[in-house]
Amino acid sequence: MSKVLFVEPEKCTGCRSCELICSFVHTEEFNPLRSRISIVAFEKTGFSFPAVCQQCSVAACMEVCPVGAISVDAATGAKIVNHSTCLRCKMCTIACPFGATFYDADHDLIIKCDLCGGDPECVKYCPSNAISYREAKSANFNKRRETAQKFREVMEEGR
Amino acid sequence: MKIMLNGQEREAREGETILEMCRREGIPIPTFCYYQAFGGQGACRMCMVELREEGQEQTRLVAACTYPIKSSVEIITESERIQRLRRTIVMLLARRAPDNPLMEALARTYSSPRLTAIEVEPPNCILCGLCIHACEEMGRTAIWSMFRGIDKRIGTPYDEASEDCIGCAACARICPTQAINLEEEGSTRRIWNKTFELVACQRCGKNYTTREELEYLWERTEYGKEKLCESCRKKTLAINMKSFQQ
Repeated sequence: MSKVLFVEPEKCTGCRSCELICSFVHTEEFNPLRSRISIVAFEKTGFSFPAVCQQCSVAACMEVCPVGAISVDAATGAKIVNHSTCLRCKMCTIACPFGATFYDADHDLIIKCDLCGGDPECVKYCPSNAISYREAKSANFNKRRETAQKFREVMEEGR
Repeated sequence: MKIMLNGQEREAREGETILEMCRREGIPIPTFCYYQAFGGQGACRMCMVELREEGQEQTRLVAACTYPIKSSVEIITESERIQRLRRTIVMLLARRAPDNPLMEALARTYSSPRLTAIEVEPPNCILCGLCIHACEEMGRTAIWSMFRGIDKRIGTPYDEASEDCIGCAACARICPTQAINLEEEGSTRRIWNKTFELVACQRCGKNYTTREELEYLWERTEYGKEKLCESCRKKTLAINMKSFQQ
């Protein structure tokens, strides 16, 4: 079974190290605007949420892509954008329910989390272990189901 | 299949085009009208290479983007003859797109003489056809090439606002010479003589898409119905997660 990027917002301190390292490994600059992961922070209540692609099994970005430029990486299960066939019509950015697929105007590219090819850097640099990369196995199945349930309710509320 | 590429033996996959093989091998070949999603068009002729077939003495010129490798041929991608050809192509195309940075860079590379510019519509269009392909791939036919010969140009039918256009601007982003004008001002987006009223994000009020784009989306997926911009989708999710945490 493949690994998943596991987000635990209750552990996130909102330090944004993940944004910095993500933009650095993908674009060689420390620029949170170009990060594939982003922190939504509520300073007053001290709640932070790392928003990142969930690599959905039925992915809205893949459904809407007219040229099939988004494919599943066989090794990691990540949804990968093929930049040489992508038309930059930006439909995936409008469709993604998590706002995790977006357009980098400076590079003229659609960008999203690619799980760093199976070795996500954000996980390594997260000081509070709010992001982890785990085997999608029964050990954390209950927690995952809980989170999935939350996501489902959130999504339904969002409609 | 073994072929000769610039004097070196290389492995080619049967049926792939010369351009595909060269890109794979990291050999640069300039192109205007090639885009991997559509395959070769053979429109701009910038990718011309010399080809010698088995048993032939002389080479002939072929467009690398449309020529499929089917036998053990010999390919030369850089020569005096090819340089001369590309110099002429850039010289002629630069008349249509004189101030374009890509064209200027290529004119320097191939030392192309500068001729007087000619007025074309839309300005800078070199008729590579990529925009038409992009529109087609989107499942639309808002733009097409019109007229023939020196009058040939790209446009919407009768230069009117096309019903088929959803304002996605894929045509503008794929254009190698940035010839397609995309204007966004306040709550409107304008492209190809059509003005779109933009849809505002229900949460923050940012204009983020066109109604036509949303309709296009809803035909393909059940997502996107909440009419939220990217950052508000993230925020809504976070707010809801927050309320679950408490």
